[in-house]
Amino acid sequence: MPEATFVVHLDDFQGFIVKARHPETLTLNEKVLNLIFYEQQKEKKETLAVSEIEGLRIAIFSTPQYPGWMVCTLLGPEEDFDVIRGELSGSGRLILALMSEDDESVNLAELVTSGSVLKEKSEEQILASIFLTPSSALLLERMQAEGVEKAAKLSIWLKNQVQDEVDLREAMAPLMNSGIVKVELIGKTAETVFLVKDVFGYRAPPVESIQKAKQTHPNIEEKYREFVGQFFSPPPPNKGYNPTIPVDDPNSPILEDREKISRLIADSLNYMVLDTLRAEPLTVPDISEKTALPESLVMKVLWSLESEKVVVRFDEVDVWALLTNPRIESFVPEYVLPMIAKKVSEKEITPQVARRHLELLIQNCGEVL
Amino acid sequence: MIRSVYVLGDQGNMLYSKDYAKSESKTNLVEFLINLTHFLKTVDLEDKTEFMNVAISRIFFAKRDSFTFHFVADKADDATQIEEKMGQLVDSFMRDYANLALANQPLDGFDEKVDEIAVTMVKVAILGFAGVGKTTTLHLLRGETLPLVHDPTIGVSIKKLPEEVENANIVLWDLAGQSRFSILWAKMIANAQVVIIVTDSTLENVLRSKKLVTLVKDEVPDAKVIGIANKQDLPTALTPERVGQILGIPTYELVAIDISYRDRLIQIIRRAILEGKAEAKAA
Repeated sequence: MPEATFVVHLDDFQGFIVKARHPETLTLNEKVLNLIFYEQQKEKKETLAVSEIEGLRIAIFSTPQYPGWMVCTLLGPEEDFDVIRGELSGSGRLILALMSEDDESVNLAELVTSGSVLKEKSEEQILASIFLTPSSALLLERMQAEGVEKAAKLSIWLKNQVQDEVDLREAMAPLMNSGIVKVELIGKTAETVFLVKDVFGYRAPPVESIQKAKQTHPNIEEKYREFVGQFFSPPPPNKGYNPTIPVDDPNSPILEDREKISRLIADSLNYMVLDTLRAEPLTVPDISEKTALPESLVMKVLWSLESEKVVVRFDEVDVWALLTNPRIESFVPEYVLPMIAKKVSEKEITPQVARRHLELLIQNCGEVL
Repeated sequence: MIRSVYVLGDQGNMLYSKDYAKSESKTNLVEFLINLTHFLKTVDLEDKTEFMNVAISRIFFAKRDSFTFHFVADKADDATQIEEKMGQLVDSFMRDYANLALANQPLDGFDEKVDEIAVTMVKVAILGFAGVGKTTTLHLLRGETLPLVHDPTIGVSIKKLPEEVENANIVLWDLAGQSRFSILWAKMIANAQVVIIVTDSTLENVLRSKKLVTLVKDEVPDAKVIGIANKQDLPTALTPERVGQILGIPTYELVAIDISYRDRLIQIIRRAILEGKAEAKAA
């Protein structure tokens, strides 16, 4: 058990502020806080590192998502950092996510003793980041049309589209991190981008949850079906939500809604609550227990999800359920096969590039299926 | 401290806004304030200032006629003091600017009034390479006895000036000059209104310090940057004029170990704050 945990924030005007500490008796000086910040600044990505500062062994967690914030854990001399690494990262992630919502309501002692954690981003959350970066979403569209493209050509295309200086690597990062595209050097200089997976963001009907409601809350089942039915297939002339309408159709809900869904899924607290409700309708205390989030925060998240038509509340039994099930899924883009064939026959790509693309698609097939 | 000031009209239209600290979530905040303004139409605040906590900030709001006033402040701020300032802002606006706003006329002079009321804290960063006398300058400004032994700063040392300047508290950020801490400089000067670049007036150090001027202009383009030609008591010191020429910023002489320079330095900072405000207005 670590000796102490504390959260430090660097305020641009007031300097270092210890926002929370456990135990309350813990004292820290300016030099220690400075050195913690210095250690943390060396890294630009989410990181958990242990540093020896003024005779103290301190594990520092930070993430670019919350710049200037650090969750620090004072380790005892016997503590094996490698053993508790995962736990400390998860707890750091959760503490910062909660702090950013409302720093005053965070009960650090409770969080530390309960061992609550926020898991690393799920595959679905990583995919969501594509639609949150406009240039990445643009690149995806281009790759869907091209299948395979030289990086240099793609870079020129992107610059023309956004009419501004844009770093292709940065725009490509969400696509590469989620495994949607692979970038490889084929031949001596030609860096080539391959589309190996495609991605689809939509709201699915909450089938699993409705079926479970039949067993656990039969009294709401009828009303629940009615709510979901109204959203997906309301009586005419209303059209309802139909994700199968092509994206270029003005009635398509996809483009407008996709970014909203992605934002909801990318937010870890929203995602935890949403994911818990996918299985069944639950009360606030149930959600709180399953997610280890405080009830006040669960309520806040539920209200925000309610306003986005993701959850619905059944007042009479005080139960919350999914109205729609936002999903971001990847699939094998079989449609690129004719594109590859055409490009080879028109000598737009070499047989070597085409072979490599097929290899990558085959490798990926196993992962996706 | 008050970080932002917003005045919105009847339709949630932005009549005036000013940020004293940059925020990453400004778009969301403005959207929130517009929604709040619409909501407040349905509520009678009885001319009082209320507040609510939003994430790590506290939003104070008041309503008069068709206008809604917002301050984004810190939770740790003294609520009574902020409410008092809100009262001053509302009174001043309703007295001198409400009619102009209703007639869609520019609110000439309101910006200065807002500064007068809302600026409670000014950040002054002291930057320079190791051993040029930054911490000594800090001690001088605070009227403190100088330490006998050189103790290099770790990271940053943050201290307040004992007196207020232009009705605001001056927070001095003395940044460590050792090169290992250079990775912190860009972060630490964020939101500074004045950056003082201290040199020891040697040619080598002044030439090196040109890099700092570039860094400051890139990171905080709105800040007023001034140079200090310290150690003017040494025979090899370049003149402040020469140092200023090389750095390309207004530069002043200093002997940080001489207490008689204190008032002069505070005047320089006061002038920099005023000039900074004037430049912001002109921009």
